Amino acid sequence: MAQSQGWVRRYAKAFCKGFFVAVPVAVTFLDRVACVARVEGASMQPSLNPGGSQSSDVVLLNHWKVRNFEVQRGDIVSLVSPKNPEQKIIKRVIALEGDIVKTMGHKNRYVKVPRGHIWVEGDHHGHSFDSNSFGPCGTAQLLCPKDLDGIFVLVGLEMITAAI
Amino acid sequence: MSFMKLKAISTPLTVINFINNNNKKSGQWWQSLHRTMLRGVLGKTFRLVGYTIQYGCIAHCAFEYVGGVVMCSGPSMEPTIQNSDIVFAENLSRHFYGIQRGDIVIAKSPSDPKSNICKRVIGLEGDKILTSSPSDFFKSHNYVPTGHVWLEGDNLQNSTDSRYYGPIPYGLIRGRIFFKIWPLSDFGFLRDSPNGHRFSDD
Repeated sequence: MAQSQGWVRRYAKAFCKGFFVAVPVAVTFLDRVACVARVEGASMQPSLNPGGSQSSDVVLLNHWKVRNFEVQRGDIVSLVSPKNPEQKIIKRVIALEGDIVKTMGHKNRYVKVPRGHIWVEGDHHGHSFDSNSFGPCGTAQLLCPKDLDGIFVLVGLEMITAAI
Repeated sequence: MSFMKLKAISTPLTVINFINNNNKKSGQWWQSLHRTMLRGVLGKTFRLVGYTIQYGCIAHCAFEYVGGVVMCSGPSMEPTIQNSDIVFAENLSRHFYGIQRGDIVIAKSPSDPKSNICKRVIGLEGDKILTSSPSDFFKSHNYVPTGHVWLEGDNLQNSTDSRYYGPIPYGLIRGRIFFKIWPLSDFGFLRDSPNGHRFSDD
């Protein structure tokens, strides 16, 4: 009787120890370093999701690169949608703060990007909900840029490393 | 005769062996001492690094998903929060989308992503906000767009808030402040807004 109890207690102790080590480290890693996400939608064709609805791309999100909120023009980034905070959108950075953008479909023809903001657009113009709809977006909403040198694109059962 | 020869040969050999062994032993003794010391130091360092990483990750998870202690600076929330007050902020409302009108929130500044601002939520999406100053004759209203909130400080004369930079997206909110820790004379839950007239009724 005492031996079986001892076994249960030891097991519970080991489980708690492992749980409190593994879960915070894993969560911190996924939040701060990198995580994997699936791309849905056609707003970034042909760079992402060229196959449309048949095959969704799986990408590696690199959080470490934006820990100081520094992005370059041309980076593909993932950010919280300004219209719906529960949704995350993937777009390309077109202009940084201080740049003047010629818009396509925005209410103003030319827009100067204010301080602390960026202008994002999808590659598939016309099929994209981006800064042409909601204007310049705050840099703090950035989640992470895509790892530009190593995006793994899942096509059926093959894995191709595509450099963009 | 051969026995004597053997002994003659073996004795110096034994002596040489003995000396060699001693040297080897003392050399080995030094080596093993160094190795143990090094292993001990390395082991302790690795254990220290491991504990630091583990507690760092636990702290990150706690601050990100539960809450933390924040020190506020600036005059824009007087008299509710004075300069250099220490308050307790929780992040659960943000993740469960439970921020309401009248809550004091911490958000990332829209003009500088590395700094935080601390203001009160006046309007959620769809609310009608009075944007003209009280001295204007014609009052103008604006509706808060979807996915945005309207923030204002309690110290209306000395606060840069949504009246200056417009509504901010909900995604910039970091957490909700609900309890003051320091100064002890003001310990407790935070008061309601002194500018109740700014809240729209409809």
